[in-house]
Amino acid sequence: MLQKPESGALPIPQAEREMDGSHDGETQPLTASQEMAPSPLLQESPEEDLGAVREEGASEPSLTPKGARALAAKTLARRRACRRLDRTVAELVQFLLLKDRKKSPITRSEMVKYVIGDLKDLFPEIIARAAEHLRYVFGFELKQLDRKHHTYILINKLKPIEHEEEALGGDGPRLGLLMMILGLIYMKGNSAREAQVWAMLRRLGVRPSKYHFLFGYPKRLIMEDFVQLRYLNYRRVPHTNPPECEFSWGPRSNLETSKMKVLGFVAKLHKKEPQHWPVQYREALADEADRARAGASVRARASTHLW
Amino acid sequence: MQGNTRRTGIMTDVHRRFLQLLMTHGVLEECDVKRLQKHCYKVHDCNATIEKLEDFINNINSVLESLYIEIKKGVTEDDGRPIYALVNLATTSISKMASDFAENELDLFRKALELIIDSDTGFASSTNILNLVDQLKGKKMRKKEAEHVLQKFVQSKWLIEKEGEFTLHGRAILEMDQYIRETYPDAVKVCNICRSLLIQGQSCETCGIRMHLPCVAKYFQSNSEPHCPHCNDYWPHEVPVFDPEKERETGMSRSNKRSLRSRQH
Repeated sequence: MLQKPESGALPIPQAEREMDGSHDGETQPLTASQEMAPSPLLQESPEEDLGAVREEGASEPSLTPKGARALAAKTLARRRACRRLDRTVAELVQFLLLKDRKKSPITRSEMVKYVIGDLKDLFPEIIARAAEHLRYVFGFELKQLDRKHHTYILINKLKPIEHEEEALGGDGPRLGLLMMILGLIYMKGNSAREAQVWAMLRRLGVRPSKYHFLFGYPKRLIMEDFVQLRYLNYRRVPHTNPPECEFSWGPRSNLETSKMKVLGFVAKLHKKEPQHWPVQYREALADEADRARAGASVRARASTHLW
Repeated sequence: MQGNTRRTGIMTDVHRRFLQLLMTHGVLEECDVKRLQKHCYKVHDCNATIEKLEDFINNINSVLESLYIEIKKGVTEDDGRPIYALVNLATTSISKMASDFAENELDLFRKALELIIDSDTGFASSTNILNLVDQLKGKKMRKKEAEHVLQKFVQSKWLIEKEGEFTLHGRAILEMDQYIRETYPDAVKVCNICRSLLIQGQSCETCGIRMHLPCVAKYFQSNSEPHCPHCNDYWPHEVPVFDPEKERETGMSRSNKRSLRSRQH
């Protein structure tokens, strides 16, 4: 089922190809480090393959053993050249997809430098085949931005779906669960005992170790994933016996949402206005003022300041 | 214009949207993949019967074959959850990461990866990784910065962190399988049962063979006296129980898991 490429490697630019020094802190396309295994494919000495095909005139295909061997060698060389071409097309497709994710236009010279290499005379064919793959397989159209500078972008041919992520519900249900927990934490004065969190969730039919069709294993999701992703903090409450633990907002929650937003969420749940909880409302207002004052660039500092 | 763009499978907008969204997420759990499939049908072909996921994916893979990529299914090493990712078949580098991280960040990952592969438990401590910060290629990185970079790796699902130690996320294991086998042929560990790359697992104290936790669970299922499949010695570790299908408590409390890990190697 898997087409195992003969040398087990896709062409990777060798160390010898100088990497642009100007890309100092910037991310490098595809492969950057000299330590990457140089592609065995490139080591196959490209001239050999295509040269062998060109050599046709030199020896006549005949039935003599020597002629038969020459013919076999030529066929093999041609096949290798084709396979190499296929792999270059495949790598160009991947390169274009990766570059497109960063929304930066791709130049022809980048493509030649990092993917096509010395097959650059075949650039028109390679890019045409890559474009066809992109269209048929992924639904992207490769468009040349301008003829003079040879820059390209990918255009998504699939119709955009509004709020696709929410409709998908991929992260949706889990983030919804997180909102419930953030809400509880906030309403309880910025920290909630672990027991309280599980009590609330139990009321929603969610039990810690029972597999849930939307959340997976809730205990793992909350105690590990959410904590690791810095949405929640989890710590031991000092001087409690038996020892109790509590949750509070993690730094990522402070960045991605706000007290006002969470209060709004809680209010909607209870079909009331945020002002219904004057203490929390005042605190949320103060939080909004702080954020406005701090501004985007020092937001990180501001959120820890709020604690 | 040609080329082998068409193989046995047929691509429709249902499949294309599925591929695009899977690429955006990088890696998805099976329940999310099923939901994704349903969503794509709803958008483009709401009257069609939804094909069985396995067939749906095989169909797409037959088209992807000529591009040397594949939707690969794996299983999380710690609790056997099926996951899916779009992986390069023929690459021997960590190229997918290369577009998202700077040179020194990639090198940090490589260092962490090496420590993880060399370790006995499949985990590398934060301290040990950070101590290698001076050896990184590219722009100089301070330890504080490196801590943030490690968190970036966790958030983009290349590493998992547990109690200050790092191991590979299922995504990395899926994507870098070949790279790891080729770069660290001597240090790499393989599961005795499924023969795939092994980072975390249990090992036999007598003969040294290793098995993934989900593979152990399946192999020793309802076997009250587990014995090593290789040397037949008594299997000294607690056999984990994972079963998302059955409606019962897993019985694996968090403290149990912790002691399980420390007893393993």
